Amino acid sequence: MAIQPRRVAITGIGLVTPVGNNMSETWQSLLQAKSGVAPISLFDASGFSVQIAAEVKGDNYLSQTGHKRLSKAASRSHLFALAAAEEAMQDSGILPDAANGHRWGCSVGTGMVSINYKELLAFQREAAPKGQLEAELILESSIATDPIYFCRNQSAQGLSLLVKRYSIQGYTTSVHTACASGGQAVGTALKLIRRGDCDYVLAGGFDSMISPLGLAGFCLLDALSTDNHNPLTASRPFDATRNGFVMGEGAGFLVLEEWERAVKRGARIYAELAGEGNSLTSYRITDPLPSGDGPIQAMQQALRSAGLHPEQVDYLNAHGTSTPMNDRSEAAASHVVFGDHINNLKVSSTKSTMGHLIAAAGAVEAAICALTIYYNKAPINANLTRHDPECNLNFVCNQTKDFVVRVAMSNSLGFGGSNSCLVFRDPEAP
Amino acid sequence: MEIVPRVVVTGLGAVCAAGKYPGQIFNSLLDGKVSIAEHMGWDVENWPCRLAGVVGFNPRELINDRKLLKLIKKTDVLGIYVAEKALESAGISGYRESLTSEADEYFAQRFGIYGGTSGALPSTQYDFLPLIKEADGSTLIIGEKLNDYINPMWLLGNLPNNVLCHVGIRNKLKGPNAFITNHSTSGMLSIIEAFESIRIGDTDRAIAIGHDAPVDPQTVLSYHITGLLAKASLCPFESKRSGSILGEGGAALVLETLEAASSRLAVIHAEILGKGCTSEAQGLLPVRMDGDGISRAICLGLEQAGLSTQQIGMIVCHGNGTITSDLSEGAAIRKVFGSKIPPITCFKWAFGHTLGASGSIDAVLAITALQRGIVPAIATLKNIDQSLKDLPIAKAHMEPIANTALILSRGFGGQNCALIVKATSRRGG
Repeated sequence: MAIQPRRVAITGIGLVTPVGNNMSETWQSLLQAKSGVAPISLFDASGFSVQIAAEVKGDNYLSQTGHKRLSKAASRSHLFALAAAEEAMQDSGILPDAANGHRWGCSVGTGMVSINYKELLAFQREAAPKGQLEAELILESSIATDPIYFCRNQSAQGLSLLVKRYSIQGYTTSVHTACASGGQAVGTALKLIRRGDCDYVLAGGFDSMISPLGLAGFCLLDALSTDNHNPLTASRPFDATRNGFVMGEGAGFLVLEEWERAVKRGARIYAELAGEGNSLTSYRITDPLPSGDGPIQAMQQALRSAGLHPEQVDYLNAHGTSTPMNDRSEAAASHVVFGDHINNLKVSSTKSTMGHLIAAAGAVEAAICALTIYYNKAPINANLTRHDPECNLNFVCNQTKDFVVRVAMSNSLGFGGSNSCLVFRDPEAP
Repeated sequence: MEIVPRVVVTGLGAVCAAGKYPGQIFNSLLDGKVSIAEHMGWDVENWPCRLAGVVGFNPRELINDRKLLKLIKKTDVLGIYVAEKALESAGISGYRESLTSEADEYFAQRFGIYGGTSGALPSTQYDFLPLIKEADGSTLIIGEKLNDYINPMWLLGNLPNNVLCHVGIRNKLKGPNAFITNHSTSGMLSIIEAFESIRIGDTDRAIAIGHDAPVDPQTVLSYHITGLLAKASLCPFESKRSGSILGEGGAALVLETLEAASSRLAVIHAEILGKGCTSEAQGLLPVRMDGDGISRAICLGLEQAGLSTQQIGMIVCHGNGTITSDLSEGAAIRKVFGSKIPPITCFKWAFGHTLGASGSIDAVLAITALQRGIVPAIATLKNIDQSLKDLPIAKAHMEPIANTALILSRGFGGQNCALIVKATSRRGG
């Protein structure tokens, strides 16, 4: 098409992850391949087949969540979101004001509602004392009659807390495509600026499924690594012995700005968010196709959207969950998309250290791609010791490498078959 | 040369308590029939809030696939059903049969799929109640006895984005997609994202689906506790209105570029002209009484559509029956339209507030209303609220003053969306 789309600058980053309470801590951990996986401490998981996860450590992030009163209306993942968003806003050096609040948007990837287990237990005791729900008892339940409980568990609550905190008055949306949610939220934000709906977007994702029900859901599907005695190496994307993913939690946020505005105010630009693509595999609910069909189209569309060729991509932050099927399918897709260039393309999955942040993963990994371009360093794919011939890619192993990253790509592939791909470009590169 | 393609509607599907086809639902509106009843699937004898617009059809009537029905929830059944009805009414499968397998693969990859629902419901956790009881709360025992109590597919049955996945698999659609969980604006946002995806050339065609089944005990009680539910009937703009009533439903629209639709000689129902989306940023439940968010959304929609207020033929309000929402909606319309306001109606009074489906159902019914040239009356409206008396709200059936409709959708978190559609001239006319 003849119209030159509006460009999008990444000018602020905020992270709360299992390997750091903020952006710089997280980035340093990634470069040192410091694992965030450990035995689950949030509840007694000793009866589950899986007893490890990558939890957010400590609570330093709480100093960034704003008003104390908020915490009653906010869930654990909302608090991650509030802290990461605040860091991103401060990092960018701008905030919505009365004059431009309506030109700000907010696009977030929201997890499946993760109800606080203690409250679910209280609800069971009040409303289902025999194990079956009794309609009359619900009416008396302190949980079921608490409006704050209701508000906190609404899918729109995370978005609402963010939008209110910053008086964001333009296009605001909350999306969910399972593990692709964060990528889809950032991709949506790109489109909002390109098509002129917004000049600024706070974009990100947040999730915490490290709860008895969240863990149960994935245990039942046999999707998780059962390496309970070796938590540090349990997540090993692309390794021949990989045996499932490790649950993570956290939030990642980006401040996105229409390019000319960012340049005009002299903002530090980490990277350009240059393109997005997405596709639906339409095969099975959890399984990818071994051929990589689905992710292939998302990656190709993202490159088209960025106006770039496959040969221009220097780094791929893989979805790389460490499940046997995902990694093989993603490797196959990468071979199709990159052809001979595959040997020059450096690849790593940061889930090797921070686990899988589910609905937050795509947004956190988008932030990592921006940092990769800004610092010309790529994070390590940890725990990759045994070569899998079906995952034959040029991995960043053992130690991080300094190399020029002009273009980076991030994949997020979700249950349900949604595939999201984002492309980032160095603003200085020709 | 046309740079931004025009986006037209070629397929429609809808289901709610008032029926399972758009025409059937529209006829029941014209008859003034209220399909809300005391029937919610649990013992409501002592409940203070017993009314709902429940979809009573046997799931097998909607989707003839016993295996799939075991895996999915009612909301998913409604979403998949309306999607397939919309695809059928657009003649998509018939057209695809004429394609070579290579051309069909390309067709699938250029067919986007967008969906929305209000979000996960508390009832998704109920499967665990017997196990939590058995374990007396011990998470250790929950872990040990998990496999004895819970279906291995539990998590997959509760994925919010299930409809996207199953509509894709069952109908072989593989293009760009999004799934929106943004309370009551989700359905309209799915239309908006499909519309924009086609405009920027990411897809040639797309289906936009909104679906919801929020009538479960905890959700109904929560809406009651927060003061959102009506005492007796859902009567928008009425002086004695007291709130909303929840309903179940779904609706879907097939969108295509004008060129794609014309190339396969499809029947064109309407064209999407513009949209606006805003937030009032006041928190989850409050709305601004001056209608700020809704008036800005309308203005953005008009601007994108390139229309003046005088070119709008009718307004379909969100009209959820709460005191504040209806009043602020009236204020916004007054502010934008001045004294020349087209006929105003709304549809929730007949089958309840279907949350994430409501924007989709309203869009489908608005297109039907334009095609038939009737603005249906709000049958539960007897005495208009004193402060809304100046507005031309349809107490009796009216006629649209042009072939365009403005449709409004609002949701928790101060979300406001406006959509502007134009009906194409009726067949043969």
